[in-house]
Amino acid sequence: MRLTHLKSRVFGSGGMIFAAVAPVLTILVAFPLLFVVLQAIFPDIARGIFANPFSRFVETLFDKHLIAWTLNTLMLGGSVVLVSSLVAVPLGILRGLFRVPFAGLWDVVFLVPFTIPPYIAALGWIMALQPRGYLEQITGLNFGGFLFSFWGVVFVMTLNVFPVVYFAVSRMVSSIGGRYLEAARVAGCPPMRSFWRITLPLTTPAIAASLLLVFAMSIEEFGTPAALAARSGFLVLVTGIEQRLSDYPIDLPGASLLSVILVLIAMAAFVLQHRIVSRRDFQTVSGKPGANRAAELGVWRIPVVMFFAIIGFLGAVMPILSVVLTASTRTISGGLTADNFSTENFAEIFANSGGAMEALGTSLSLGLGAAVITGILGTMTAYVVVRQRTVSSRILDFLTLMPNTIPGVVVAVGLILAWNQPWLPVTPYNTIGVLVLAYCCLLLPYPVRYANAALRQVSVSLEDAARVAGAGGIKVFFRILMPLIFPSILAAMLLVFAVAARELVATILLAPIGTKTVALFIWRQFEQGSVGMGMAMSVMAIAITMTIPVAVAIWARKQGRLF
Amino acid sequence: MISAENSAGQTGSPVVVTGTSQRFGRNTVLEAIDLAVAPGEVVALLGPSGCGKTTLLRLLAGLSRPTTGSIHIGDQLVADASSGAFVPPERRSIGMVFQDYALWPHMTVAQNVGFPLEMQNIGRAERDARIAEALGMVGLGHVADRQPGTLSGGQQQRVALARAIVSRPRLVLFDEPLSNLDRELRESLVVDIAALLRKLGMTAVYVTHDHGEAFAIADRVAILHSGHILQIDAPEQLVGKPVSPQVVDFLKLGLVLPAEVQNGDLIIRGGKHRLSPPAGLINGSRSGDLFLPRSALRAASADGGAQKGNAISGTVVHSMFRGDGYAVQMRFDQNIAIEMFSATRLGDGTIHDLDISWDRAFWYPHDAAPALSHT
Amino acid sequence: MKSLKTVLLAGFACLALSGNAMAQSVTVYTAGPGGLIEKLAAGFKDETGIDVNVFQATTGKVMARLEAESANPVADVVISASWKTATSFAKKDMLLDYTSANAKTVPDFLKGPGYVAQGISALAIAWNPKSGTPKPADWSDLTKAEYKDLITMPDPAQSGSAYELVAALTAQPDLGWKLFEGLAANKMIVPGANAQALNPVLQGAKAVVFGAVDYIGLSQAAKGESIEVIFPKSGTVIAPRPMMILKTSSHQDEAKKFIDYVLSDAGQAMVAKTQLMPARSDVKADRPLIADLKILEVDPKTDRKAVLDRFAKTFGME
Repeated sequence: MRLTHLKSRVFGSGGMIFAAVAPVLTILVAFPLLFVVLQAIFPDIARGIFANPFSRFVETLFDKHLIAWTLNTLMLGGSVVLVSSLVAVPLGILRGLFRVPFAGLWDVVFLVPFTIPPYIAALGWIMALQPRGYLEQITGLNFGGFLFSFWGVVFVMTLNVFPVVYFAVSRMVSSIGGRYLEAARVAGCPPMRSFWRITLPLTTPAIAASLLLVFAMSIEEFGTPAALAARSGFLVLVTGIEQRLSDYPIDLPGASLLSVILVLIAMAAFVLQHRIVSRRDFQTVSGKPGANRAAELGVWRIPVVMFFAIIGFLGAVMPILSVVLTASTRTISGGLTADNFSTENFAEIFANSGGAMEALGTSLSLGLGAAVITGILGTMTAYVVVRQRTVSSRILDFLTLMPNTIPGVVVAVGLILAWNQPWLPVTPYNTIGVLVLAYCCLLLPYPVRYANAALRQVSVSLEDAARVAGAGGIKVFFRILMPLIFPSILAAMLLVFAVAARELVATILLAPIGTKTVALFIWRQFEQGSVGMGMAMSVMAIAITMTIPVAVAIWARKQGRLF
Repeated sequence: MISAENSAGQTGSPVVVTGTSQRFGRNTVLEAIDLAVAPGEVVALLGPSGCGKTTLLRLLAGLSRPTTGSIHIGDQLVADASSGAFVPPERRSIGMVFQDYALWPHMTVAQNVGFPLEMQNIGRAERDARIAEALGMVGLGHVADRQPGTLSGGQQQRVALARAIVSRPRLVLFDEPLSNLDRELRESLVVDIAALLRKLGMTAVYVTHDHGEAFAIADRVAILHSGHILQIDAPEQLVGKPVSPQVVDFLKLGLVLPAEVQNGDLIIRGGKHRLSPPAGLINGSRSGDLFLPRSALRAASADGGAQKGNAISGTVVHSMFRGDGYAVQMRFDQNIAIEMFSATRLGDGTIHDLDISWDRAFWYPHDAAPALSHT
Repeated sequence: MKSLKTVLLAGFACLALSGNAMAQSVTVYTAGPGGLIEKLAAGFKDETGIDVNVFQATTGKVMARLEAESANPVADVVISASWKTATSFAKKDMLLDYTSANAKTVPDFLKGPGYVAQGISALAIAWNPKSGTPKPADWSDLTKAEYKDLITMPDPAQSGSAYELVAALTAQPDLGWKLFEGLAANKMIVPGANAQALNPVLQGAKAVVFGAVDYIGLSQAAKGESIEVIFPKSGTVIAPRPMMILKTSSHQDEAKKFIDYVLSDAGQAMVAKTQLMPARSDVKADRPLIADLKILEVDPKTDRKAVLDRFAKTFGME
């Protein structure tokens, strides 16, 4: 039995998909990242010269800050992972196991943090909580001391990234269903203990995979720690990278080398996650379909709804409220006084509707394009990784995580280095295609992690059944596997869409000349000092970006699919 | 396959369900159920899908709360809608076998079986002994260290059974435990489970939609339909004296013919047949359902018995060879059909009369309270 | 939907269509302010019919893109916010020698072979009059107790002009590091680049920016924000914004015309309109000009790293 499965995996659909996926990933991810590594080693690679290898190593690696920054990076990544899991794992499990009132609404609300660019969210929090911020203007309280501290950074970053864990865990739990838990209860196991003994171990692969993403995202995030904690002297590796890229002389080799350190840290996390997951590989979606019934919450209804509401308020409503307030006041220094409220900023955006609408159109198209491409490619990669279990498939797996651990600006540099080589016969550089490449490269990790966790649960016999029924490898993939894991893929694609539609860091460096995206539009407003107008554009971008997830949620609901 | 030599012969607890209803929103799934199970008795809940049998089982397990009524297991009041009293499943000392087994994929077979003992804080040595005993009873001592996913369906089901009985619970619940298995395995397992339950003297409630399975395992069978218990009796009694046409229909005991009474004759709905039952069968009612058990019908040639009112003629839809004879599907009207046994093949599309033995017929009047009248 | 298709097509087909392949166009890489380059590009197009392809980002990002593209350069003209860019590009022989006829009235220290200032900004104190603090007149006023906990400053490690301010002020014999030690004792925060330093002062969390970029503050004030830009009497540093043509440019004639246009009366008027000081001394502006300011020089031999380290140490940012 085992042997035939193995054979069919290697020579059957797995092999074909591997052959399809490997070259694409090589071009998409490995090619630009190779240039990051080359840049780290050969300082003059940008001029096409392989001279003085390692000449910058000593200076960069013996930077006296390096150890402190690395430790800070680890501490930040670890803390965000910890707090995210404390918040999102319970939320996800509750959502997956119980009939939570307004469940669809929470899914949509928890997607909102993803549509808010991190620099906007951080600014929103600052404007809300700093002394004389909106909160103090309204209630007389300010939390500036908390916000501008290490834990303030962790707080804001957790609210930005926890949905990754929430969506992964809730999808996983609901596909496992409550039956294992019921069996434990009947066997005499009290609820909390069943949770620890049954639910948690079965959900571990999804939790571990999504926390890995969270870790990767938090070690590469620049804006939030820079805006909130730099003033209290808390600096991370990305701070060093950003400094090397922010003023003359630009130090590309140093920035690249620090990025390689980030990749190494991520690699360690990846190995850890791999160990956790590979020992707990359970197929809970078998060929025997059964109805999943969500349990009733009973007296816990209200506390649970409160919990969802508080997190939703903090993650989505608070930052947006602050952004909206800024957008609808004439001047920041005028504060929340009646005569300072105005729709001027929005009016100006409508006046410049050509530019703004063009930017919105470009961003939405880029988001959709990236979501579709990464959705398909990510599922195929995950399939190869889950079913094929060879060294080369594991390399593919890690390859798809790497871009997530490198600051977007360095990935962008890698893309320029790679795609602006004079010997290339054709290149997407300086076309909008390079943005598609960049978003796919940066965001591929989401669909891969989500599909990976979902595929691990699907029994091989379901595929075998389709093959016996006469379906070829590709057909099995698209007709059987894709639909089975569709809820997970859809969630990942929505995340990709939301992030791609507002990406700034890589866009600013890569945007082809003359291209306008939402993020660039907002950034230019800030650059010109029009914080209010930038915020107004953010509000509109968030609102428009959210319509697509909301439409998908409504559609999925009508289809009876889980969303 | 399953042996119960080491049984301690202890007795399970009685179960009493009183006036229990279950509603989900405006949808009533169970309506005022009364059910008493004696210690050591095995009761099967039989009915079509959606009749409420699984809901009743989940109420017994404590996996949901009743909307009205109360449930006792032994002396313990485990659920009472009026006072809100509720004992969660883990404190009911029960065992349960699930339709899809629900073996925890992250534990070995022995860990799965030992889990209920672990929950009772039973020490390692005793636990190991009892795991071995339970696995021995189901004939699976050799797979203790395997992962459940590597076992066959029948083996998984026996592991689930071992897990349900290992702690000698006072009540064992079965939720269509054999429906995923092939017929042969099902027939042998049902016999084994029945033997094991009797040996251990356990009280059990067994949900199934297969009457063969119910008759094979249960002391008494409760027929559920749309949230009501239609009849609860020993299998022989159910077949011999069904209390309503629905019971007949569900158990496929014979022909049910809705009819009007005209001058002592029965006009079968559709108007094609007129039957002349002996006086006393109808007892003054004006309409009702005539039940003709299979044993009351005998195939005759088309000799005109239909005219005399003592036979009913039908068209052969299909004959199927069954080894020792033919299963014949006959249709009498649009909605009335029966599967009969015949020693000879009857040609498809041919019309045959079935002679009626009126002494075996039942009449269920519509206009009176549904009382059984029998000649 | 149509643009989605375009995106996908572009993504898959990888069409080569780089900026310098287009005829009659010039590609300009520029640091902010954002509105300025758009106006200049539009005016230039009107006058010459030549398209301007703009890449606009912070000076750091402009430099990073230039550096990463050096195997296959795309830009024709570069406008930086840091004078240092021009001098070191010139040293590396990357610049085309060109002196615009319009540069005659640009003071000598604002031009060199191959580069010339577009406009000039200066660093100043940006003070919120609604903060309830007395109006400061000089840098050293900010070490007074009234400003405790109420000062921000752009990070010299991220902003070239902030670095120059630190370098110039610490080189003053009467000030030295004492000024910054006093600011550190007054709990001055260094929250990041220029915009991050200004924001808390606008909302009132802080009262004053030490070393704000003047034109940003002036334009905020013009928009009605409660902010006042004060040029300290002991002097400040200026940050001329150099324009240069890269030697690798394949549109050198168009590039020269562009430089000419920026230095024309019309171009300089646009510069003045953004609250920058025009490079030409004969162009008027509605703000203090170079002649009105006391300008501090930075010794080119200053050890940048040592200054930044000392600064970081002083403010506990290690």
